Amino acid sequence: MSGSIPRSTALLFVIAVGAAAFIPEVAGEYPVAVALSFAMWVALAQSWAVLSGMTGYSSFGHAAFYGLGAYVQVLTWGIFSPWVSVPLAGIASCAFALIVGYPALKVRGPYFVMLTFGLAEFVKYSVIGIEAQLGQFSRLIIGGPSPNDLFWIMLGLAAAATAVMYLVSRSRFGYGLRAIRENEQAAETVGIPVSLYKLGAFGLSALIPGMVGAVMAMRMNYFEPAQAFDPLISFNIVVMATIGGSDVARGPLLGALFLVGLSELLWARAPQLYMIILGVLLVVFVLFFPQGLATRLFGNLQRRKKS
Amino acid sequence: MSALFSGQLLFAALVVGAVYVLIALGLNLVFGTMRLLDAAHGDIVMLGAYTSFWMFTLLGISPLLSMFVAAGFSAGLGIAIYRGLFRRLLADTRMRQRLEGNSLLLFFGISIILQNVAALSFDTTPRAYLYLDGVTRVGGVAMTQNRIVLLAIAAALCLIVVLFLRHHIYGLAIKALIQHREAAAVVGVNIERIQLFSFALGFGLAGLAGSLLSMTEQITPFMGFPFTITAFVTVILGGLGNLTRGMAAGMFLGFVEVYGVALTSPSLDSVLIYGVFILVLYLQSQGLLGQRHAS
Amino acid sequence: MSLLALRNISKSFGGLEALRGVSLEVERHEIVGLMGANGAGKTTLFSLIAGHARATSGTILFKSRSINGLRPDQICRLGIARTFQIVRPFANMSVLDSVVVGALYGVRGEKSIARATERAMDILKELGLSNRADDPASSLTLSGQKRLEIARALATAPELLMLDEVMAGLTATEIAELLVVIRRIKERMSLTIVMVEHVMQALMQLSGRLVVLHHGELIAQGIPQAVSVDPHVISAYLGEPV
Repeated sequence: MSGSIPRSTALLFVIAVGAAAFIPEVAGEYPVAVALSFAMWVALAQSWAVLSGMTGYSSFGHAAFYGLGAYVQVLTWGIFSPWVSVPLAGIASCAFALIVGYPALKVRGPYFVMLTFGLAEFVKYSVIGIEAQLGQFSRLIIGGPSPNDLFWIMLGLAAAATAVMYLVSRSRFGYGLRAIRENEQAAETVGIPVSLYKLGAFGLSALIPGMVGAVMAMRMNYFEPAQAFDPLISFNIVVMATIGGSDVARGPLLGALFLVGLSELLWARAPQLYMIILGVLLVVFVLFFPQGLATRLFGNLQRRKKS
Repeated sequence: MSALFSGQLLFAALVVGAVYVLIALGLNLVFGTMRLLDAAHGDIVMLGAYTSFWMFTLLGISPLLSMFVAAGFSAGLGIAIYRGLFRRLLADTRMRQRLEGNSLLLFFGISIILQNVAALSFDTTPRAYLYLDGVTRVGGVAMTQNRIVLLAIAAALCLIVVLFLRHHIYGLAIKALIQHREAAAVVGVNIERIQLFSFALGFGLAGLAGSLLSMTEQITPFMGFPFTITAFVTVILGGLGNLTRGMAAGMFLGFVEVYGVALTSPSLDSVLIYGVFILVLYLQSQGLLGQRHAS
Repeated sequence: MSLLALRNISKSFGGLEALRGVSLEVERHEIVGLMGANGAGKTTLFSLIAGHARATSGTILFKSRSINGLRPDQICRLGIARTFQIVRPFANMSVLDSVVVGALYGVRGEKSIARATERAMDILKELGLSNRADDPASSLTLSGQKRLEIARALATAPELLMLDEVMAGLTATEIAELLVVIRRIKERMSLTIVMVEHVMQALMQLSGRLVVLHHGELIAQGIPQAVSVDPHVISAYLGEPV
């Protein structure tokens, strides 16, 4: 792993994003919607990977960041323009992550997984309660940016999240995060400020999902807490990362591609069958391919290039 | 406020607590002996509930009889899962170390499969049936007979299991395995067989609990998950692998839930449960809930 | 002025007193051997110095600066590195990357991965691991893993290196080889070393000074030959009255 980015990769990235940006010009509503969905999952999964793939602290509660972002968007509707409210949603999510992360990251291993799940559900039911108190059961927001505009914003978020994951995984910070994953106590002994790094990764992993939530609220013109904080969102992210891999930026891309593809085939027609297949895939990958497709198919990035 | 001290509430808390204790007992057996985080435990409860529902609705068999069928079926499922998935993994030391972390995800996958197979087979409309729904009044407290029976059977079962663990050789072997795996092997415990037995017993208890619950609760393919959550809270609160403390914890959780809801409002039920959930997990990480057992 | 000074260090865990009134000075470029029966408090002492635990009373001074209560990563950046009694490798990282981490985050806090990799390769050569650079750390034998643990610690560019039973589990040949390596790195990198050891051969051959702990107290210190015939030490090990 070296510091400078290979030209080929950077070129590929720019071409891919550029090409994707043309989708609304050449395709109808439905392909754009699918592309938006794909971009959304990429943005979510890459952000998740920065925390969970790199440090091993697997979050099963990322729906909380998504939902909070959506909630901020809905609450500031009409008060701020999307140019303000979307970043604000991201910052709010990030702030929440930093506050909650400080105690939460003291919990290790599978208990952290359970904790993040519980936290997300706690937030969900709390927001449901708050909304009920406010006399709101769902909120409509109409008149935001067009679906095409929203697609471009989401594409930007996906590109940003991918870039962040890519850069982190090849950076000094990434070495530190991986060391934390491999052996937290040893990592601290060699000079890595473990608590700070974990918290930083946690906050960073919440930033873009918050913005994604805000964008999706505008896309759906609708906010309902049970939906915005749906644990299925967290679940999907984890499945994508398990299948695709989460140690390198390729992983979430593959995972998102796979899952969106599968869901396009099955979700509308046979949702239970889709879920059963996901369950089976999860079991199979956890047992036999724990590092995901990214490593299986493309080899181990950590092998040093022979000079 | 006087309603808070009513016998009604007390009875409700006892029933809820008893169910939590029974389900958590099964989880503790699976978790304690093999460090497997059975996130599908509540779904076994769901399968037990459906078993009794169909046996009552289609064959007119009382859940008090079909609960044995449900228990057997669940135990069989446990054995199948153990043989199919875990036996290979637990034998390999390197895999076993990774297993605790991976088991959560693994069982979660199993949970998804079970829930959706049930949804596909039975569709998602809530089911219910009436059995022993007469009301008995004792000193002003109205209790449905099915709940009385539920409480009685759950209590009896817990007693039986505790006595079994204390006196039968298998029970002692399970305790040994929970406390120190390597030592248990050294003194001649057949790890393989005891693990299988724990799996079967753990799942069986869950299925049986589901059977009992089918008398009083609505049955849906997704009913299991809240029970998984409460089972985990109970097990962690009581100390992982600590069966007797787990029972006290289950009762405590039942009381917290019933009285908590009575004090605040029904809609805060989930907030309360998840609040306790995250609190318990945090306290445990800080070592405030007592010793973890040596692995 | 000594590099490391422990002044009246005590540590209790609840009711158990692990260390009582331990005072010790370690001078630059010394090799100090720390010995004592199991439960004597050696590991606790290491934990306190490395920052994994905090002393109940007393001060620890490193380069005249108190390090009580500092976090392990802060202590590393000040110049103290340690190995662990039971090795803690970065199992899925390559041997090289394990050491690169040390170079990136230690005293020098290298910002460039390329430069850190260069330094890491040099250290691996020093410890005879350069031919395994790209293999996963978990694929090394115990002897290799111990060397890797030392390499990783060295990458942090410490002034004080603490070795915790680094000879444990090694064959006689491996011990002899490691003794040579340790002497060499000590000279090349101007290290001060404190080592906990049960392997007497290593202690006697390497240490300039031996320190003996017993039931949490320092009962003897001096040159190895003197300590080995010290009546208090003999009585502690053999249980005979002084």
